[in-house]
Amino acid sequence: MSEEVVQCQGVTRVYADDAVPVHALRGVDFAVHKGDWVSLAGPSGSGKSTLLHIIGGLDRPNDGSVSVDGEDLGGLSEAQLSDLRLRKIGFVFQAYNLIPVLTAVENVEFIMQLQGIGANERRERALEILDRLGLDDIGDRRPGELSGGQQQRVAVARAIVTDPVLLLADEPSANLDTATTKELLELLRNINENHGVTIVTATHDPMVMGYAKRPVNLRDGAIESDGSTMDATTDASPDA
Amino acid sequence: MKLRLLVQLGWRNLWRHKRRNGILLGGITFAIAAVVLANSFIRGMQVQMADNAVDLMNGHVKILAPGYLDDPSIAQSFEVAHDWRPDALEGITSDMVAGWASRVRVPAVIMSERETRGIQLVGIDPASENISFVGKLAIQGEGLADAADRRVIVGAGLAERIETQVGRRIVLITQGADGRNREAGYRVAGIYRSDTSSLEKIFVFTGRDTVQDLLETNVVTELSVRLTEERFSPPLLQRLANVFAGLDVMTWQQLDPTAAAMTAIIDVVILVYFFIMMGALSFGLVNSLVTAVMERTREMGMMRAIGMRPRSVLLQVVLESTLIMGAGIAGGVVIGVLAYLPIADGVDLAAFNEALSTFGLSNVLVPQLFAQDVILVVVLSLILGFVASASPAVRCMKMGPLEAMRR
Repeated sequence: MSEEVVQCQGVTRVYADDAVPVHALRGVDFAVHKGDWVSLAGPSGSGKSTLLHIIGGLDRPNDGSVSVDGEDLGGLSEAQLSDLRLRKIGFVFQAYNLIPVLTAVENVEFIMQLQGIGANERRERALEILDRLGLDDIGDRRPGELSGGQQQRVAVARAIVTDPVLLLADEPSANLDTATTKELLELLRNINENHGVTIVTATHDPMVMGYAKRPVNLRDGAIESDGSTMDATTDASPDA
Repeated sequence: MKLRLLVQLGWRNLWRHKRRNGILLGGITFAIAAVVLANSFIRGMQVQMADNAVDLMNGHVKILAPGYLDDPSIAQSFEVAHDWRPDALEGITSDMVAGWASRVRVPAVIMSERETRGIQLVGIDPASENISFVGKLAIQGEGLADAADRRVIVGAGLAERIETQVGRRIVLITQGADGRNREAGYRVAGIYRSDTSSLEKIFVFTGRDTVQDLLETNVVTELSVRLTEERFSPPLLQRLANVFAGLDVMTWQQLDPTAAAMTAIIDVVILVYFFIMMGALSFGLVNSLVTAVMERTREMGMMRAIGMRPRSVLLQVVLESTLIMGAGIAGGVVIGVLAYLPIADGVDLAAFNEALSTFGLSNVLVPQLFAQDVILVVVLSLILGFVASASPAVRCMKMGPLEAMRR
């Protein structure tokens, strides 16, 4: 059994903002192993984004426990959760991924600045990752001057530049066309397979699910099916 | 969290909405410049009011016989040695004292061949009057030569009323300590003009010894001491009270409570003026910051999500406010000082002479720009900037990353 990066036990999330409580997650037990690429799928309201956010420390469960890289998130303050996200988790969101007033290379550097990494090392690592992802020619452009696909790839560069133990992507292909989505997924596959980055995505997109090693389907706040029970050697990608 | 990163982000965010922030910056700059310049005028008025009150033969400290203020006659008088000097007192050094003067001031009647008027007759030693407005008078004709000069100087306003002029003779009538009237004729040596027109109609000056001769006495009615700095007043007051026991030793504030109250009020006026100007401006600042925060809620949520601490978000909003306030303050102070320099020597307000006289002010108002006032404006403005940014900053900090990204 490989090392567990994420461990969820009995995770329950109830939204009680309205008169009728909404059970987004109902006692979910779930684990992600090192080197995995898990795709959380399911219809709207199934709880996939909620689970992703709870794993990322952006939301807290009403019940149950979550640990990331062996660290229990339940006892952490907001500031400690911020630090954990900074040190251990990379994020790629559907939109509003980049800081508009910073160039692409500065956006990649931003997270290292938060970590207190020195200017020279920061710039060197940012340029290296952009180069590796084929973005070396857009480093000095601001997000407004980049296409949606380029912005997402810069967001991926920022998410992995500090070698996080976990990369979380919430609907990463939502605003992209098919060709750009494929480029992004190839990029994620590359960093998953060649650099060992553990990835969890939440998506509606069958294409994204096809690239993942382990599709997990949720429905009504519970896991309906988990690809970990399938043949792990099956390559479900569309190109296969 | 690195402060440099926050400053960098804050600075670039300000350039994101050039027009909006430019207007806000212009407003802050204008308000600060206006406050700096207005403060210099208000402070100039304050200094002039105090100076004029001291100049008005009060000095910083004055010694009078008890009852003189109620009945200003020669009956309320005292003797003072010719060689008396305040810097001979213990603890009072010569560099603390600008000068001193003893005078005989009594009510009198002046008669020309055409008119008669009630006046204040003041016997002075002209050599000592560099401490009062008398030493600064513009005189047509001649000034008094010494304390024994038997000629008189009258104000232009009075000369016009009694229809006299330089070289003519007038008669002065006053009452001696024994209750009998004394009168004598004197030649007009000069006619003086004063910034404050009311003074010209009240005071007639002659030699101190001349008045003493007229009243057949060697006493004086007042002794004024002018200091180099106001802060030396309390120790001098204490020493004089010991030396002149039984006499009234009073500060200019006690002698002229109206002027003293007005100068004290001006300290408050400066603060009130500042808060009116900057208070109005702070609404613009708050509005601008709230708009900026609302526009960037999702972006800030994303920054929180990838690891920015809540307090860093708060700090960033405060920094943005401080940056724009700082730029506005710097620009405002520079413009305010540049606007002050051409008028630093004074502004001629002769057109408002009557109104100015009422407040004890002369025709030329000299603005005073004090470093402490500029520092006060800078510090208060920065505090205001902090306060104005507090609400949007705290709101932003309290919002969770997920909640912010969903906005």
